[in-house]
Amino acid sequence: MEKYSVIGKSVPKIDSRAKVTGQAKYTGDLKFPNMLIGKILTSPHAHARILNIDTSEAEKLPGVKAVITHKDVPSLKYGISPARWDENIFCIDKVRFVGDKVAAVAALDEETVYKALKLIKVEYEVLPAVFDPIEALAEGAPQIHDEYRRNINTEIHQNFGNVEEAFAKAHLVRTDKFIGQRTYQCPIEPHSAISMWEGGKLTVYCSTQSPHYFQHYIAREFGLPMGDVRVIKTYVGGGFGGKLEPTGLEFAGAVLARITGRPVKMFYDRHDMFAHNRGRHRQIMEITTGVDKDGKILGMHANFIMDGGAYTSLGIASAYYAGAMLTLTYDFENYKFDMIRAYTNLPACGAQRGHGAPQPRYAFECHLDNVATQLGIDPLELRLRNARQPNTVTPNEFKVNSCEMTACLEKAREISDWEKKKGQLPKGKGIGVAVGSFVSGAGYPIYRTDLPHSAAIIKVHPDGSAATLYVGATDIGQGSDTVLCQMAAEAMGYTYENMKIISADTETTPHDFGAYASRQTLMSGAAVKQAGEDVKNQLLEMAGVMMDKNPGNLDCREGVIFSKLEPEKTLPFTAVAREYFVKNGPLVGRGSYTPPKLGGTFKGAPVGTSPAYSFAAQISEVQVDEETGEINVNHVWDVHDCGMVINPALLHAQVHGALYMGMGESIWEEVQFDAKGKILNPNMSDYRMPTALDMPVITSALVESCEPAGPWGVKEVGEGATIPTMGCYANAIYDAMGVRVNSLPLSYEKVWRALKEKREKEKGGGKKKK
Amino acid sequence: MHLPDFNYYQPETLQEACEILGRYGAKAKVLAGGTDLLPKMKQDVLAPEALVSLKMVSGMSDIEKVPGRGVVIGAKTSPNDLVNSSVLHENFMSVSEAAHSMANNQVRNMGTIAGNIVNAIPSADLPPILIALSATVTLVGPVGSRTLVLEDFITGVSRTAIAPDEIMEEVVIPEQSTTGSAYFKFGLRHSGALAVVGVAAAVTMQGSLVRDVRIVLGAVAPTPMRAKKAEEILRGKNVTDDLIAEAGKSAAVECKPISDIRASEEYRRDMVRVFTKRALRKAIYLEQSES
Repeated sequence: MEKYSVIGKSVPKIDSRAKVTGQAKYTGDLKFPNMLIGKILTSPHAHARILNIDTSEAEKLPGVKAVITHKDVPSLKYGISPARWDENIFCIDKVRFVGDKVAAVAALDEETVYKALKLIKVEYEVLPAVFDPIEALAEGAPQIHDEYRRNINTEIHQNFGNVEEAFAKAHLVRTDKFIGQRTYQCPIEPHSAISMWEGGKLTVYCSTQSPHYFQHYIAREFGLPMGDVRVIKTYVGGGFGGKLEPTGLEFAGAVLARITGRPVKMFYDRHDMFAHNRGRHRQIMEITTGVDKDGKILGMHANFIMDGGAYTSLGIASAYYAGAMLTLTYDFENYKFDMIRAYTNLPACGAQRGHGAPQPRYAFECHLDNVATQLGIDPLELRLRNARQPNTVTPNEFKVNSCEMTACLEKAREISDWEKKKGQLPKGKGIGVAVGSFVSGAGYPIYRTDLPHSAAIIKVHPDGSAATLYVGATDIGQGSDTVLCQMAAEAMGYTYENMKIISADTETTPHDFGAYASRQTLMSGAAVKQAGEDVKNQLLEMAGVMMDKNPGNLDCREGVIFSKLEPEKTLPFTAVAREYFVKNGPLVGRGSYTPPKLGGTFKGAPVGTSPAYSFAAQISEVQVDEETGEINVNHVWDVHDCGMVINPALLHAQVHGALYMGMGESIWEEVQFDAKGKILNPNMSDYRMPTALDMPVITSALVESCEPAGPWGVKEVGEGATIPTMGCYANAIYDAMGVRVNSLPLSYEKVWRALKEKREKEKGGGKKKK
Repeated sequence: MHLPDFNYYQPETLQEACEILGRYGAKAKVLAGGTDLLPKMKQDVLAPEALVSLKMVSGMSDIEKVPGRGVVIGAKTSPNDLVNSSVLHENFMSVSEAAHSMANNQVRNMGTIAGNIVNAIPSADLPPILIALSATVTLVGPVGSRTLVLEDFITGVSRTAIAPDEIMEEVVIPEQSTTGSAYFKFGLRHSGALAVVGVAAAVTMQGSLVRDVRIVLGAVAPTPMRAKKAEEILRGKNVTDDLIAEAGKSAAVECKPISDIRASEEYRRDMVRVFTKRALRKAIYLEQSES
């Protein structure tokens, strides 16, 4: 008999039928009687003082039901990161980027809303603006927030071991500098929220990654008890980090709904989404590493600056993550991390898949290839020599339990035929390697609280023909509803097909922090497992009475209760569940999960802590057109250590999706601005995400791994596969053409220019020799 | 991102359509596929008072070979009709390939050949190859029709010789001695990208002798432009790799690209060089492989 009956299987996604038939309703699809449509007016200037706002013409327009500005809403500053609450619902004295929120309108229909927005007259005094983080940090730069001198939003200086001493002992000390770019998550579904009041109670339907944080911040902003705020997640068309924090739509909608006494639907269009942003930070990254003659890393210094945009968003965490995650994949003792996150007059950056980690990882992996080249060591071999081993502690005090970094690298080498290809492919073709690692849930929540991180309730229906799982865990398309039902069924000894789920509604489901930091399979899963086992224990007690057996000798699997000693003695789950209901009332299981205390005591120590870490090695084979710089990615091999796998099909789909995003950021995607801070490409035509035709052949493979901190040994996968990709392609391009592009994206034109410069240099060098 | 108000007309004949257009003048627009027009209206770039739909006007959607005229393409033909046309496959495969390089499948189903021409966007993919093949366009107005050479029809960015009350009825690729043609689109991803550079070439070869050649560059000037000096380098000569390379270099000098968010002027020029070479090679190779 197989060890597990429900987990480890590619059961169909629980919502696939609803989604493919169009039955699934997203927030934008919902309609309520008397519902108004609302929209936010944003700033046309990157930095300007608000002198006057005249809403009178807009208010006179037939069909307009309310127009609001900062005067009509609480002035309490909010944010997602409590250390830096720096946003107001609407700007009060000045605007700080093109797209900053100034006013809002609710009207009978969308057409009237747009007309009304044009009738709001805002008088601005335009101020000098700054768009580059280094310029923003200079003395005399325009001051964006009065409270933050020299536009320093976050400053980090961490020092573990003794880097200087390590460099002094090193055979080679090398420094490289890399620059990342601004990218945006671009979920297919635009943000929206529908707010409505019943007496003093506010209900918000929205497209969110965390109903809990929305509920928490909405309650705080309006001074409401949490119990009077109900946040309901509908089906969500992707988030990738961009729907984790309040968007402004909930706040404005709540006020418009209160004034008008009617439900109000607020939404962003594609352009608004780009302006609201909260996507990837652009980082300027200098990395210095000291290695011995065998390539063993002795010490590393990461010296970074990031462009945070006009507000903090999740940026403090991004800034810490950028350095914290660099210590995971390789074993070295001495590490120094310096970072400044600067304010600029651009849209605020936040958490995007992989959070602060992918760009630093790109820099580190390119840098290590340079080190390997300089030492004459095969880059994959260099990584193997440094690969982290299980049951170790990083210099920044992250405890790593399971870790199959070595096995990932070896397997990737084998299945990609690395040894036959590296340095031996015809000109124009190249192969590259990079690795990555990511948290399986954050060790600490975003704001300080001792609430459990996840909780679950399972209610077995009276006749036992179904069981409903109630979780706050948030399915945003990644499939958490499916895997959590599998986990519940496994723990109960039940069948997946009979599971129902109600998730991510703050009134009907128990608390959970939501979908971020790749946390739900491990953390929500742990709570679900406990709830399932609770059901099973109660059921076996009942069965013991019915069968006249010691419950300790009974077990339940796939809906059948049996004696472990006499397996032919069985009772159906349904019969026992019904009897339980008759005798005791509802059969309910409960579970919750709080991670153990993790990490060190230094400043910033909590960021990057996790009960468990995933590891991945990626190898890619690319083809570069020598004349045009055009890049074709032919094949990518991703080998993951993600612990026990609950649903292989969903896992591999996560790898494909993560790789897709990583690939877009590697070669095509970049949010571009004009000289006045206006976005030039807020659309899907010029913000070039990859298409199906751009995708390579993907081989997604796994290594055996079991994580003691996770239920059944699980770890994360959703973000980990985005992390190595950019470095992996850059290294493959280097192998193909012998040129290194030190900035993202690795666009065709940049590769073309690097090739041209190389040719000119070779020509020039040749002449000199003559 | 909301369509503004407009009056909507759905005439059943071209004559009727022209009359409505005549009443509104420049304040009306013709609606066929809508793939250019409707996004522009949603983005507040255009706010016509009236849209005159050609949906109920019959015909104008065939691709036929007409003796004495050439290949006649109805104005309402979609890019995917061009992609799938056996008449084009047999006569001008390069036109099918150019159509296939456009936008994405959804847009290729909705858009029209006339729309791609009349919108006169510098990066449009069909005009370069059609100009290389000496195509003409026929316009119908209130008092009859007229035929123009496509090369003269597009006069600037979003500007053409069409009058406000005229409607394009057909595009004709005349009978010709061309032995091979090709179109290369260079975009920044493999689908759904606008051309950074588009190069079309049509050649009339006699053995290795280039009897005639037309090279048309897209996306590197306000209108599709002939690379006439590059043509001169080849015309009447026996083709060699060096001559083709020289023609590429000449085209790179002749073109007038700009720098924008997609590419720098310098990059565009070099891509004109590369793709002029590739387009010529392909057009000439086709001739050689057939003989």
